[in-house]
Amino acid sequence: MKRANRFLVLAMVLVLAIALVGCKKSNSNAASGQVELKVLNYFDMTSANASGEVAQVWEAFEKANPDIKVIREDLFNEPFHNKVEAYAAAGQLPDVIYAWPSGRSTTLHTQHLLKDLKSLIAKDGLAANTLPGALDPNAQGAGYLAILPRAITSSHAFYINNEVLKAAGLTPAKTYSELKAQVPVLKAQGYETVIMANQDDWVMQSCFFSLVAGRFGGAGWEQKILSGQAKFTDPDFVNALTFIKTLYDDGVISRASLTTDYGSGIGQFATNKGAYYIDGDWRIGAFITDSSTGQALIDPARQANFQVTVFPDIEGAKLNKSSSGILGTGWGINANIPADSAKEDAAWRLVKWLSGKEIQTWLLQTGGIATPTRTDINASSLKLEPLQIQGSQLGGQYTTTTVVIDGVFAGEVYTPINEGLQAIGLGSQTPQQVAQAAQRAFDAWKAKQ
Amino acid sequence: MTDLTSKREQSLSYLILVIPAVAIYFAVVAFPTAFSVALSLTNYNGGKVFGNPKVHFAGVKSYIEIFTNPNGYFYIALKNNMYIVLMSVFGQIPLGFILAYILSRKMIKGTDFFQTMVYLPNVISPVIIGILFKSFYLNSNSVYMEIVRIFNPAAEFTLNNHPMIPVLIVMLWMYTGMYVIIFLANIQRIDVSIIEAARIDGAKETQIFSRIILPALSGVIVTSAILAISGSLKSFDLIYVMTNGGPANQTSVLSLFMYMMAFRGAPNYPLANAISTVMVIISFILIGVTKSVEKKFGGKE
Amino acid sequence: MSKIKQGSPAGKIVVYVVMGIFTFLAIYPLLWLFIQSFKTTQEYLTSSKLALPKLWFFGNYPYAWNMGKFGILLVNSIIYTVVTVIAVVVLGFMAGFAFAKIKNKLTPLLHGIFIVGILLTLQSIMVPLFLMVTRVGLYDTRLGVLIPYIGLGLPMGVYLGTEFIKGIPDALIESARIDGAKFLTIFFRIIFPMTAPVAMTVGILTFTGTWNEFMLINILTSSDTIKSIPVGIGRFSGALASDYGKQFSALVIGVVPMLIFYLTFRKQITKGVAAGAVKG
Repeated sequence: MKRANRFLVLAMVLVLAIALVGCKKSNSNAASGQVELKVLNYFDMTSANASGEVAQVWEAFEKANPDIKVIREDLFNEPFHNKVEAYAAAGQLPDVIYAWPSGRSTTLHTQHLLKDLKSLIAKDGLAANTLPGALDPNAQGAGYLAILPRAITSSHAFYINNEVLKAAGLTPAKTYSELKAQVPVLKAQGYETVIMANQDDWVMQSCFFSLVAGRFGGAGWEQKILSGQAKFTDPDFVNALTFIKTLYDDGVISRASLTTDYGSGIGQFATNKGAYYIDGDWRIGAFITDSSTGQALIDPARQANFQVTVFPDIEGAKLNKSSSGILGTGWGINANIPADSAKEDAAWRLVKWLSGKEIQTWLLQTGGIATPTRTDINASSLKLEPLQIQGSQLGGQYTTTTVVIDGVFAGEVYTPINEGLQAIGLGSQTPQQVAQAAQRAFDAWKAKQ
Repeated sequence: MTDLTSKREQSLSYLILVIPAVAIYFAVVAFPTAFSVALSLTNYNGGKVFGNPKVHFAGVKSYIEIFTNPNGYFYIALKNNMYIVLMSVFGQIPLGFILAYILSRKMIKGTDFFQTMVYLPNVISPVIIGILFKSFYLNSNSVYMEIVRIFNPAAEFTLNNHPMIPVLIVMLWMYTGMYVIIFLANIQRIDVSIIEAARIDGAKETQIFSRIILPALSGVIVTSAILAISGSLKSFDLIYVMTNGGPANQTSVLSLFMYMMAFRGAPNYPLANAISTVMVIISFILIGVTKSVEKKFGGKE
Repeated sequence: MSKIKQGSPAGKIVVYVVMGIFTFLAIYPLLWLFIQSFKTTQEYLTSSKLALPKLWFFGNYPYAWNMGKFGILLVNSIIYTVVTVIAVVVLGFMAGFAFAKIKNKLTPLLHGIFIVGILLTLQSIMVPLFLMVTRVGLYDTRLGVLIPYIGLGLPMGVYLGTEFIKGIPDALIESARIDGAKFLTIFFRIIFPMTAPVAMTVGILTFTGTWNEFMLINILTSSDTIKSIPVGIGRFSGALASDYGKQFSALVIGVVPMLIFYLTFRKQITKGVAAGAVKG
């Protein structure tokens, strides 16, 4: 009994001791005169250029700006988004935040938690060397320039594997009916036609359906719905959904794609399991040489056999040679930082750097982005692999850009579409049902505005 | 000592013993829970909670929305939760019981080693297990499919109609070991002489099992069932990592549905918090049912 | 069942086979994970998933360890887990003793509120908890992590503690009372030492729960020096992770400390898990 008692006292002391030690906050000892910036960074530590990011982006900035102390919090995936919501709920966001122009960063935009960067951009004359589309306030969820985007992204890219097509005695399909006709030929030789990684519901919507909706609805289709002139249940949108059903029915995309996780689609494509692959333009970075291992999923020597373009013409669509595009991610500043304060100046310098020429060039080289927003980057002077060059020329492959659904509609509106697209693949819902669900969600959302 | 001081000492001791736990628990669980129930009655939708002029009382709107929303996701999630409850009560517990029974008969060597092994999945983080099985099992070019293709090269991965099955299998894998250990310890506590006596009287193995072992364990089985039910309704981590509810919400569960409402896209905390309140009520009902079943079928206590 | 009589050789073989299968099922996925962590992501994606690495690539481990800052995370994980376990056992059983053995009008209410806690989901209180922790200035401190962890562990500690202490004969307490002992003395001198088996159970449940917790700590901390191993794993994993080799090695780093702990204390752990559910 005495032993137990001694144990108890010891335990209590230990609890208190460690708890009190833990009470001490890790000191961020900023030197006098330094401006302290809290930064929330979205950081994929598994990406090939992650270790480069620390040195080339963050350390370089601190070296060049000794008067600024950056306190960085690196998060990735869902933990990042959870944290943003928690910060928003407490009303204490960090000073500089990585954000999407809409979609996953909905709260930041709808609650106007980020500063309008317009005057800062104007002051520095950034418009002179930035693509005009990147500075379009209406392209962002808040309706003003809450972030300074670093790229224009084509959320759709149609990757062609000519090694497979050659082996099957085929050439790249120009139209959907050609593509459909290739299915039995490819299947006979054990190839898939189009590989997709559809396990996550956003993939089909973002990387493919947005393009299809644009082709059936024509440019500006989303404005008609937002303004109430058109409905999701109108023939255009239903036809687009029906086209997705057709793809599954025709075997162009296999239903098994619904069990392929996003990470492994690229492996299937690189190992010649199928002739085509649909994803975003950002996926080029996954195929090229990985600086951390020195290996490439598609060896630079093989890359000449691959093409990056947009989906073939769809017969009966209003529009062809189009893609779906969206602003890339970028950086914003906490709206609570007072204008013209030292902190605002420091934060703006950091944002300018993070979205600036050097970083965009570095991202372009490492495959992080395909189309930078800066116009003063000369891609031809950089050492790029063949697939990267193809990616940088993707913009020339299409004449019209239509919207990405999760970029223009609210979360509660696009979620039923995302899920409905999977349900269509599973055969558990019809295109009409999905269209009705989307319209219902839209009406409910509209009623709240 | 007089009675009075004894009484006073009694209530004073009570308070000293209870207050630390109650204080911490109220601060970090009970109060936030009350807070979350309160939020479920408002129209809060993201941004600052305190001093947000747009937040006001909205009544039980969110509760009605849960049950009436035409997308029916609540019912899919509830159905999947029920599958998990059924799988743990009629899968994990019986399987654990059988394994424990076999082990208890001491026919073989190495039971300690085996106990260590079956319990192993319980100590590993569900996050790790989720990611592991996602790669290992859950897609068309997984380890599982490679093994299947050795026997049938044309096999295609089609779990589309029953996407919950792989999740349930992994849960069975994870938690059966816990019940093996619980049952084994309790079987070993049964007085061996009773079993011996029964055997001498000519009782068959099946009779020993159903007349002696099973009744002696009814209390433990109910405790295990309660553990299983409350665990099943809360299950989140594994599914969150393994399928994230997909495809098309077919593997969603209540806690995940709630999480999606709170953290994905525009947050809808009132609805999310209403769901968690409903979850607690469902847990109570199920546990009540379990207890009354125990009473009816002669719990030995 | 009746066929598998004690000692029958056929029965023995069946049992060995069943146990062999279960053991294999428990070990193989972990072994697989370990082996795959030595592949580069390129090889993982393009090779057979059953195959050994063609080229054993050791770069994933130092990379994951350094980039993930697992050194400090490991220290923090140990602190959080040890303190939480001790606090939950001690505080939970103190309350459990009061609920079980001291008559008081408050007991049904307080005990009932603790039981509700077993059924609550963490996700529903995450945001309110975050608001409170920031309000009282404990955001991004160890104490601000520990108090919620202890609070979340308490319902199980109180529930199992109360049930166990109820089973201790009242006579023991009454005789001590007659000798003039105070309740506090009785608890610490007599009752608490007797709770060792159920303390083991609560300890293990709290230990694994705290060690593996990943959502709350992500919300409640921002400095790397305060975070724990699950946060580190989260940095490498998720649907959008782009490198399997690095992800798998981070998972192995996350799982090894727990494995070492488990294999070292396996006897106590398997006994302890059972003790909590042992009834009368």
